[in-house]
Amino acid sequence: MNKRLLIMIMSLLFVLVACNSTAGTEDDGKSSDSNTLNVSIVEDAGTLDPGVSMDNSAWKITYNAYERLVQYDGEKTTVKPSLAKDWEISDDGKTYTFFLEEGHKFADGSEVDAEAVKFSFDRTLAIEKGPSSLYNIINETRVVDPYTVEFQLENEFPPFISTLAANYGSIINPKVMDHEEDADYGQNYLASNTMGSGPYMLEEYQKSQYYKLALNPNHPLDPELKTVYFQISSDTSGARMRLEKGEIDILEGLPVDQFSEVESVDGVKVLQSPSLAVEYVYMNIGKGNEVLKNKMFRQAISYAVDYQSFIDEIMAGYGTQFRGPVPEGLWGHNPDAFMYSRDLNKAKELLEESGVSDDVTLDLLYSDNNSQWEELALLLQNNLGEIGINVELTKVAYATMREQLDVGEFDLSLGVWSPDYADPYMFMNYWFDSDNWGLAGNRSFYENPEVDKLIREAASISDQEERIALYKEAQEIIVEDAAYVYLAQKDSMIPMREDVQGYVFNPMLEGIYNLADMSK
Amino acid sequence: MLKVIKDRMIMLVFVVFGVSLITFLISNVIPGDPARMIVGQRASQETYQSIREQLGLNDPLIIQYFNYVKGLFTGDLGTSIRTQQPVLEDILSYLPATLELIIIAFMIAIFFGMIIGVFTGIYNNTMIDYIGRIFSISGVSTPIFLSGLIVIIIFYGQLDWLPSSGRLDLTMARPPTVTGFYTVDSLMVGNLETFRNAVSHIFLPALILSYVLLSTVTRQVRSSMIDVLNKEYIRTANANGLSKWTVNVRYALRNSLIPTITVIGVSFGSLLGGAVVTEIVFNWPGMGKYVVDSIGSLDFPAIMGFTIVIAIGYVLINLIVDLLYIFLDPQIRE
Repeated sequence: MNKRLLIMIMSLLFVLVACNSTAGTEDDGKSSDSNTLNVSIVEDAGTLDPGVSMDNSAWKITYNAYERLVQYDGEKTTVKPSLAKDWEISDDGKTYTFFLEEGHKFADGSEVDAEAVKFSFDRTLAIEKGPSSLYNIINETRVVDPYTVEFQLENEFPPFISTLAANYGSIINPKVMDHEEDADYGQNYLASNTMGSGPYMLEEYQKSQYYKLALNPNHPLDPELKTVYFQISSDTSGARMRLEKGEIDILEGLPVDQFSEVESVDGVKVLQSPSLAVEYVYMNIGKGNEVLKNKMFRQAISYAVDYQSFIDEIMAGYGTQFRGPVPEGLWGHNPDAFMYSRDLNKAKELLEESGVSDDVTLDLLYSDNNSQWEELALLLQNNLGEIGINVELTKVAYATMREQLDVGEFDLSLGVWSPDYADPYMFMNYWFDSDNWGLAGNRSFYENPEVDKLIREAASISDQEERIALYKEAQEIIVEDAAYVYLAQKDSMIPMREDVQGYVFNPMLEGIYNLADMSK
Repeated sequence: MLKVIKDRMIMLVFVVFGVSLITFLISNVIPGDPARMIVGQRASQETYQSIREQLGLNDPLIIQYFNYVKGLFTGDLGTSIRTQQPVLEDILSYLPATLELIIIAFMIAIFFGMIIGVFTGIYNNTMIDYIGRIFSISGVSTPIFLSGLIVIIIFYGQLDWLPSSGRLDLTMARPPTVTGFYTVDSLMVGNLETFRNAVSHIFLPALILSYVLLSTVTRQVRSSMIDVLNKEYIRTANANGLSKWTVNVRYALRNSLIPTITVIGVSFGSLLGGAVVTEIVFNWPGMGKYVVDSIGSLDFPAIMGFTIVIAIGYVLINLIVDLLYIFLDPQIRE
């Protein structure tokens, strides 16, 4: 019997050794190829259809596969021509006319013309999913001539031009209708295919494994990177090892406490750039504990928070205190705005003046989808405890948290926000307009008629200077009202191989790569 | 035997009905609105309402459930909220990867588990027994995410012998789909290079996953072996001068298999659970990863579809266990 067993074990070992020797050599081959870029991402993107997706992880894939009328300009949050070489906005701000540049072609060789532009927006509106809510203000999209297209807006909406640079502004090949099933406008097909005019196209998608981008043969540019893999790897420790070995070039999703370690590895750099993503705390004024209606009480909380510890300890230093409510780097930011800082004496004074009794307990809502929230919640519990406010921590699943935010079932809650398009509207109007109570944006259930009036006016005129002045006026009231606790503005951290060149960080395009300009 | 199969099939209908009802109710009790997840946070009320209408979420619960069950009969498990693809299509595309992993892990566990079990049983309370038991106990007590990382660090990080993730190298063409198992499909077209690559990818995850079941098998085989070896008919066999192999394998092992099969059948479920963690650690694109992502985004149709498929799997495994009893124990056949 022992002999048989021995033979079996030996043969098994033999097979394994045979496998090992080949596995090693193949791995070496793929990492040294300078035409191929490997990006490690944490999850599948969901549907890739620009008319459906509201998800940044889809944009990562589609950004380079589609073109839009306008695009963000390098590192700036203003837009420059893309498919449109020029545009005009009528005096009343309701008519936008775009003049298309000739010669842009979809991956199948057909031309990007005014019909395709009209088709893309009509399609998004007909599908009636997330992106359509942004374009509901379009009354009509009209083809003036093959290279001129005109949008008629229902009312003046200055951020419109910026929305056109976002994923949902992507121009889709009208031939997608050949793939239509059950009147779905090709949604099923575009969920895992691309039909755009960008420098790349999605060549292959293996679920939970990778997205493979290849060059669009009809695009005038000839980028150095011929193939780009977005490899899906939810386990970042394994992915980190592959980055250190040079098998992947860019790593996403690494926890903050590991950046300094990774940076010390030979051949790896970590790109640090200020982003527009902010961390803040919602104080439920409208529907939470009655004491939160008291302005001095809210100010006391704002003075009690230890901002610096949060940034230094929990964010490992990768951030700055948030001078809100419009973050630095976006136009409309006010560098002179008042910023609360930790001052326990002042906090206690305000608490006393507010007349709120000593024995207050507030609950603090957060979820497990953000790895830093547990520590932040404990920090806040401790900070508020120092001035005599009890905090009960309520940790729930992310989907549950969103539901509770929407209906207002909380006192305090942790939150993050990043803008979809580059306009202070994304902060001022979403966060403070009393029409946006709930998940939509005003998560403190804040209401101030004066603020409502100012920000609505600012959203209805086109002149940028005037808008900034109005927003500034509203900001003063808002900061005084202490509707949120403005914690920190995050830095974007991207670990990548040192030989990756040409990447430009744009705060509106976090986690999105300008592949056509990159090389390694 | 036909009767057993028939009984199980009838049971299957009830199980699927019960499971679908329970998961449906649970999904609807948990706060969290799938329509919200689709439209994104910043969508207007009208858009949100139109999505609810499209998804049929405004219908009474009973109608929603009725529509769901109606779909089940035609093989329609609904459309995933996250991927916007039919759930059945999604599951079928992830199922082979998971099955391949589980089956290979299962085979490793049974093969080595039996060997170690038999030896530790025969050489009860000797050095062999102690080593075998320590080895198997560490299997139940080491969590997969730990043992998985350790073998990745050793075999990928340090030695560079085996890849750490995925089913095949990126540059390697996928074999044509017949069974969906890369190891089998590559052999069927005679592509040895792809086969070797697939084996090198599945080796570590299958080994780690098998470790959990291996210890269960070992312990079960060991104790039944000890039990059987003390029986009188074994003493008789030994007294009659039968060879050690005949006594230990044909007499003792066969008789100790029946309780072992019961345990293996039950613990097949633990492999499914373990597969979820293994798939994440090793980046294995299977159902485990799919369902974890689905739970994260409250993708009810996907979660329910997964649960129903697993429930059906359980019933089928029980059926196989029952049939194996019949095969192994002539008494049951009567």
